[in-house]
Amino acid sequence: MTMHEHTEWTDKLSDYLDGELSDQEQRAVAAHVAGCVECSQALHELRGVVERARTLVPVEPPGDLWKAVANRIAVESERPVATFGTRRRFSFTWPELIAASILLVLVSGWAALRMNRPSSADLQVRQPGSTDLQVRQPGSADLQAGPDVVPASVDDTEYDAAVADLQRALQSGRGQLDPATVKIVEQNLAIIDQAVDDARRALAQDPANADLSGYLQETKRRKLDLLRHAAALAEDLN
Amino acid sequence: MTFNAGTSRVTGTDADVALAASGDSSAFERIYRTHVARVHSLARRMLGPGEADEVTQDVFVRTWQKLHTFRGDAAFTTWLHRLAVNVVIERRRTYAVQRDRITDDPAALERITVPPARADLSVTFDQAIEQLPAGAREIFVLHDVEGYKHREIAALLDITSGTSKRQLHRARMLLRRRLGAL
Repeated sequence: MTMHEHTEWTDKLSDYLDGELSDQEQRAVAAHVAGCVECSQALHELRGVVERARTLVPVEPPGDLWKAVANRIAVESERPVATFGTRRRFSFTWPELIAASILLVLVSGWAALRMNRPSSADLQVRQPGSTDLQVRQPGSADLQAGPDVVPASVDDTEYDAAVADLQRALQSGRGQLDPATVKIVEQNLAIIDQAVDDARRALAQDPANADLSGYLQETKRRKLDLLRHAAALAEDLN
Repeated sequence: MTFNAGTSRVTGTDADVALAASGDSSAFERIYRTHVARVHSLARRMLGPGEADEVTQDVFVRTWQKLHTFRGDAAFTTWLHRLAVNVVIERRRTYAVQRDRITDDPAALERITVPPARADLSVTFDQAIEQLPAGAREIFVLHDVEGYKHREIAALLDITSGTSKRQLHRARMLLRRRLGAL
């Protein structure tokens, strides 16, 4: 038997071991192995490798990675996590900002659809609660929550004052931010402002519409969140 | 595919998954503690120790993000493990290793073979796996360590089952020499 012919047999040993060959091939390999010391030895060693692999046990990482995971989750979920024990840091990445833009467009679209629907007088009007204590789903389930989610009530006076404060803070730290980031933040704010204006106009025509009211409050909260993030980012970079 | 890790805590894990999905970070930390060794070992064996820590973090951040999509149709450990495999494979693609990894490398056999005098110097089976050529290592870990079938590996890696089989055999042949020295 030439070396090449023998290699053809050894190349089939793993498939033979795993039962991946046809019945005819399985029998042929078995017959060859029975009469070939080299292939018999190779098959024995391959079997040992497979058994060794199956007995490998998981090994703990050399260091504790939880703190790093927790910090990243805190940023991802945009809420503080009590067990982290570190100051929450904010960061803006391009994907986050772009995602925020897309989300706002979707929310605006949802609102537009709602505005074009007849007033839902039979809808139960729910009292807004405090979203500060509201637990959010991982992965930002805002859109999935739909109209049943009761958004925070943001009083216009308090809202305007908070916006003004945050805009001043952002303005003072504006120079610390990358121009591209500033541009995207401003684009997002413009989208939110447009959505707030649209919702206010629609609500003026249909004051009893609970969906519209909820949407307006949620949109205002988004603007506050965005301003807080941007201001915090500028402060961190300062 | 088989997955045995964590089965002793099924009830606790199920409760923790539900809690974590509602935003309970303490429950999520317990999930992390239960599964981190499994995830980290997968990442280390498939990518090497240099990337294992970061990829493990990526896996758990992704898990946190995706928890609300877990429907309980499969065991949570299976769901998490598939997610981990996907994150690992994405990482390999990100670094454009994919195009080079399923290739025959005649030098691989020489690289993995150490002089007999050094063969007993703390060379573990895990370390031998890490020294395999990337493509062969990936398929060996998925098939022989994690229990995936060739058709599953082919789908995951966008290769043929035949390629998966050839790379697996290659990995085993390389490792059998090392195993004799361990």
